[in-house]
Amino acid sequence: MAQGNPPLTEPRQLIDVRVFARNILARRSWLIAFILFDIILAYLIIVDPILRDAWDFIAPSPTPEEQPVTIWWYLQAGIGLTLVITLISFVFSIIGGLFIALMRISKNPILYNISTFYVELFRGLPLLVVILIFNFALVPMAVDIVAGTQVVDSAGNVTTEGTTGIDFLDDLIQRLVGVPEDRIGSTRLRSRDIDETWRIIFAFAVTYAAFMSEVFRAGIESIGKGQMEASRSLGMNYLQAMRFIILPQAIRNILPALANNFILLLKDTSLASAVAVPEISFLTRQYASNRFRYPEGLLVLSFIYANLTIALALGVNWLEARLQADKREST
Amino acid sequence: MPPDYQSEPIIAIRDAHKTFGKVQALRGVSLDIFAGEVVVIIGPSGSGKSTLLRCINKLEAIDSGEIVVDGMSLYAKGTNINTVREEVGMVFQSFNLFPNLTVLGNLTIAQRKVRKRNKAESEAIARQLLEKVGISEKVDVYPSKLSGGQQQRVAIARALAMNPKIMLFDEPTSALDPEMIKEVLDVMLALAQEGMTMVVVTHEMGFARAAANRIIFMDFGEKIVETTPFDLFENPEHERLKQFLGKILSH
Repeated sequence: MAQGNPPLTEPRQLIDVRVFARNILARRSWLIAFILFDIILAYLIIVDPILRDAWDFIAPSPTPEEQPVTIWWYLQAGIGLTLVITLISFVFSIIGGLFIALMRISKNPILYNISTFYVELFRGLPLLVVILIFNFALVPMAVDIVAGTQVVDSAGNVTTEGTTGIDFLDDLIQRLVGVPEDRIGSTRLRSRDIDETWRIIFAFAVTYAAFMSEVFRAGIESIGKGQMEASRSLGMNYLQAMRFIILPQAIRNILPALANNFILLLKDTSLASAVAVPEISFLTRQYASNRFRYPEGLLVLSFIYANLTIALALGVNWLEARLQADKREST
Repeated sequence: MPPDYQSEPIIAIRDAHKTFGKVQALRGVSLDIFAGEVVVIIGPSGSGKSTLLRCINKLEAIDSGEIVVDGMSLYAKGTNINTVREEVGMVFQSFNLFPNLTVLGNLTIAQRKVRKRNKAESEAIARQLLEKVGISEKVDVYPSKLSGGQQQRVAIARALAMNPKIMLFDEPTSALDPEMIKEVLDVMLALAQEGMTMVVVTHEMGFARAAANRIIFMDFGEKIVETTPFDLFENPEHERLKQFLGKILSH
């Protein structure tokens, strides 16, 4: 046939390479620079024996003798521990923050005042101070209350006067922290039974719950009151309206803010090194002071933190873009 | 189905007072509404007509007086307001659809969580109602994709899905473009003809004339005139009512 049929499909629009490149350079040069530095550093860590030494100390890998090599091994120290602390604290602070936010918007004066007191107090205390308080004051005091301060000898005579403690809590907490079963009945809880990691997780959760509650409150208040009125007029009670109508909309609005707090929390876990929790900052300080190699240790440490946070930040950007695309589509 | 004037009124408002700060929104309003009646409340803005409507399902609480809905006194100790609200549907000026749910979700959420109907049953009821209000093809669409008139019809269907005995309409067409007002009023007219008890705050005099059994004119938080549509339009008696009608009917 002489006459060619018209093509069935339109030719695909080709992307103009120069425009594409210009856009990338204008908006993504920072990322390209970051990736280049990252590659160079990763290369140096692999080839340079000193940096390699620092890396192995700060982000240890199990040696073949230390069997079995499982995910749990990685979670005990270094990067794994940093992530574990971040994740658990984040979950606790989200749950706590949500409840505090609901108290803050409550019309009940008792709930409102208690929650506001909490938020103002913990937003005002530096995180490092809260960590020290939990580690050196609150936990030992709580242990004294639970375990009691009186000392009893093996014959059952009180040798040092003091408080008696709360027996069932004493046994329960000993069980929780992993005191051997056969010793629970005969020993009292000691302050050192409670792992530093848990102490600082409480400190992070309590402090970040105060910040998270403000994020939640802003999110809930960003939803027009017509939504609550419509829900209530359909016979839903307050909690049903919150759970099925208000919170799903509020959480969508505050996802970027929550993710931002997650990044802040990840960075703040470095404060755990102040109470000798073996996460990456503590290991770096140990490494650097042991071998007088501060620059190498800090370089490796920064490398790890920057990669963790920038990966998270890119995730947040992606999330935000996706949510905005959703919104554009739906309006 | 003619209104049932023999039984007890389904809504009884006795001497309702309500203030917002220094503004007296209601000054001793009393009103009986009987099952099957369509009562239209008109009045200038700020006259307390929306407040009165919102007091019937306790979205606003009155300061003094008494309100009895379907035999339940709203301010009695043993009354669960959610039980009252199950029987009283409400349609808002700004629709207030749930943007996080599809049209179907908007219609089923309260059926499932409040009426405890199962998924299949609640969806069947929802589809039936959507057909009735003429938007059965939009079942899986999110509200923001709908026009104002469609949104308001979904909102009416959402309230109806609870099988209420009473429907309250708070200026249902005031936020709509002129060409969409009719589609909403048509749905409301059909509902009135089925014998639904309706209390409607509106400026749509055509609807009032066609559907209302009684018209209440309110001003300054008081019930000024209570009359039939015929008397309202043919020989309005009260001076302030004449002024008001002169303003809204002059075009």
